[in-house]
Amino acid sequence: MTSFNPDLLAALALVPALVHLPAGLARAQDSGPLRIEITEGVIEPLPYAVPDFVADSAAASEYATNIARVIASDLGGTGLFREIPREAHISRITSFSSPVQFSDWKAINAQALITGGVSVDGSGQVVVRFRLYDVFAGQELGQGLQLVGTTEGWRRIAHKVADQVYSRLTGEDPYFDSRVVYVAETGPKDARQKRLAIMDYDGANVSYLTDSSALVLAPRFSPTGDRVLYTSYETGFPRIYVLDVASAGRRVLETQEGTMSFAPRFAPDGRTVLYSLTSGGNTDLFSMDIASGRSTRLTTAPSIETAPSFSPDGSRIVFESDRSGTPQLYIMPTQGGEAQRISFGQGRYGTPVWSPRGDLVAFTKQSKGRFHIGVMRTDGSEERLLTASFLDEGPTWSPNGRVIMFTRETQGEQGTSSLYTVDITGRNLRQVTTPTGASDPSWSPLQN
Amino acid sequence: MNTGQIISGAGHLGLIVWAIFGGAFESEPLPFEAMEVTTISSEEFAALTAPESAPEAVANVDTPEPPQAGEAPGLTSEADAAPDLAQPDPAESTPPDEVPEITEPAPPDAEVSDEPPVMQPPQEDTAVLLPEPVEPAPEARPEPAPRVAPEPVARPEPDVRIDEVDQQEARPDEEAEPVETDREETAREEATTEIVTEADRLEEAAPSVSVRPRARPAARPETEPEPETQTAETPQVDDSAVDDAVAAALGQAGAETQPESTPQGPPLTSGEKDALRLAVSNCWVVDTGAPSARVTVTLGFSLGRDGRVLGDIRLISAEGGDTTAQNVAFEAARRAIIRCGANGYRLPPEKYDQWRDIEMTFNPERMRIR
Repeated sequence: MTSFNPDLLAALALVPALVHLPAGLARAQDSGPLRIEITEGVIEPLPYAVPDFVADSAAASEYATNIARVIASDLGGTGLFREIPREAHISRITSFSSPVQFSDWKAINAQALITGGVSVDGSGQVVVRFRLYDVFAGQELGQGLQLVGTTEGWRRIAHKVADQVYSRLTGEDPYFDSRVVYVAETGPKDARQKRLAIMDYDGANVSYLTDSSALVLAPRFSPTGDRVLYTSYETGFPRIYVLDVASAGRRVLETQEGTMSFAPRFAPDGRTVLYSLTSGGNTDLFSMDIASGRSTRLTTAPSIETAPSFSPDGSRIVFESDRSGTPQLYIMPTQGGEAQRISFGQGRYGTPVWSPRGDLVAFTKQSKGRFHIGVMRTDGSEERLLTASFLDEGPTWSPNGRVIMFTRETQGEQGTSSLYTVDITGRNLRQVTTPTGASDPSWSPLQN
Repeated sequence: MNTGQIISGAGHLGLIVWAIFGGAFESEPLPFEAMEVTTISSEEFAALTAPESAPEAVANVDTPEPPQAGEAPGLTSEADAAPDLAQPDPAESTPPDEVPEITEPAPPDAEVSDEPPVMQPPQEDTAVLLPEPVEPAPEARPEPAPRVAPEPVARPEPDVRIDEVDQQEARPDEEAEPVETDREETAREEATTEIVTEADRLEEAAPSVSVRPRARPAARPETEPEPETQTAETPQVDDSAVDDAVAAALGQAGAETQPESTPQGPPLTSGEKDALRLAVSNCWVVDTGAPSARVTVTLGFSLGRDGRVLGDIRLISAEGGDTTAQNVAFEAARRAIIRCGANGYRLPPEKYDQWRDIEMTFNPERMRIR
């Protein structure tokens, strides 16, 4: 009873070490803190509160409410956050500078709290200050910020605040203060009028860039968001134009006469344009230096090569080709050369767009009578289809590479086109409200 | 003219009179057979048919009886009750129950060795049939018995549907006050901001991930963390040494000899650890599409005896992602620990030394979208 075998005891002491081999032998002797590994969490919107900002004058009170509403709309639109309605708030924010009663916000399970103050100075400038709190940690997240803008630009100020909140809470780059250029559509399907329109990312502040006298297609923002490339049938043939967003002035990019050029897209440097050119029944990829107008042929295959898109570093191009018999996605060096096929699933792939993050390619896929918007890694792996409908096409990335906007067209003669967004996780599919039918969106970079 | 009409009228009249009285319209009745019928009650019918069935039953029950040569006389006395068919006396039904019990040992196979002299009668099976037809009579009763209801029931009212249970017709009472049934407040399900990927919707009809089952309060302790500090006295190998060592590792006696810096008391069971893991998991919000979903962070913190977090939660290590993503991952993990521990984690107080200091690793690897 009282006798022990030292060898046996040593062996017993080793048992825990053997059971927990990954942690190493040392742990067996180290009886430190309790170690727990969590591998399952929950995927749900993070609850937060954004009470009306505090207005320091009657003139500012309107903005105080509206700015808080736009922030809530931005954050709620991501699907990652859920606003706790004002009716549920226990305490009121009456002063921007007074301390926050965290217990009141914990009680309603607000994990984040946004407070702000608005003032309008004599020159018509809106000054917005805000703070973001981690309620359960009882501390401020980041520094308070002050933003100044014109009264007309109050929505942009709200987007900027929401961008800061989004960025601090998710660790991702923001995207709310951005715009979208698209083709506005009116009239029936067989006599549809199309013109270029531009709006805020959330569908507000729509304005038109062209009239509806000629058919326009596929507008694409420049990397700095100051210009737009698009295809117009003004002369009867499809030709590529470059348009200055601020002045709405435009000029044609001269390509070979008697040819059709389309599907243009800027290179990340903003000086080169990739496009497709059809000559003698064969469609190939070309690049053009905008300043000099000099074109370079990139592909020579007898098949159709189109829809080129640059990688963010400008070193590679992803495009669509039917050289294998069906349209598939390929990647090749910017200077041309051997292309590597990346799509191998069943169906037809088209309109590839390289993510701003560089890790994914978004595409349209037609399979079994349905259209999908999907993403895959740049080596073709991990393909995921995010949507499915009668007709989905033309994906464009949000500036941070988190959200994809695309065109969805409904079936039938009365079918209409509209814009939708979807998170790259496949959640949070939402329609973007536009005053008319809309198609072919192109998302701008984040505005300065 | 007149003469002709008179003759015609008289002729027709005569014809009509002959037809009426002469039997031209009468038909002879069809021949039919009549049968004498009398009505009898079901009891009478039973009485009529009972005697017929009784003999049949005799033949059926014969076989079990022969082995009971000794008890045969006892049964004969009960045979007298046989004619009392109308009496559904439960007492009468009991004798048949006893008989089967007795027949159990009857199977000849079992008793061949026990009672050799009795085994001779088996050859008499057919011979015994004749002398004993009267004795088994009581066993005819089980058949007629079911035909009589066990309980007398009053004749139902004309419109009543026959059922096994008497029931009053439910009529709405016009004078009664309307009764408000207790109703729970309900609301439509809260709309979610998330939409399942359209392309995946069909496939996701069945759950692909199951919730970790709530841990059982397992009483089985693990022989995990305690370094053994006891010294051996003799180098003998003893079978009981294993038990002793385990007991010492788990028991208080062993803990007393340990250095002060090491946790005291028995370690947490895997069930208790799982409960803590589950509690924090429920509050850990993971954004699977964000860069922070590629970061694994380990946080260190201390708990008070009430299970609440004491002091700061600190970042011990972070792997993967850039510093921004690591920071976001840390904040999300910290929120999980604070939120779900707001009312104190439920941990066994007697093992406080085991869970006072905790290092918790948050690994989103399995949740990340692939």
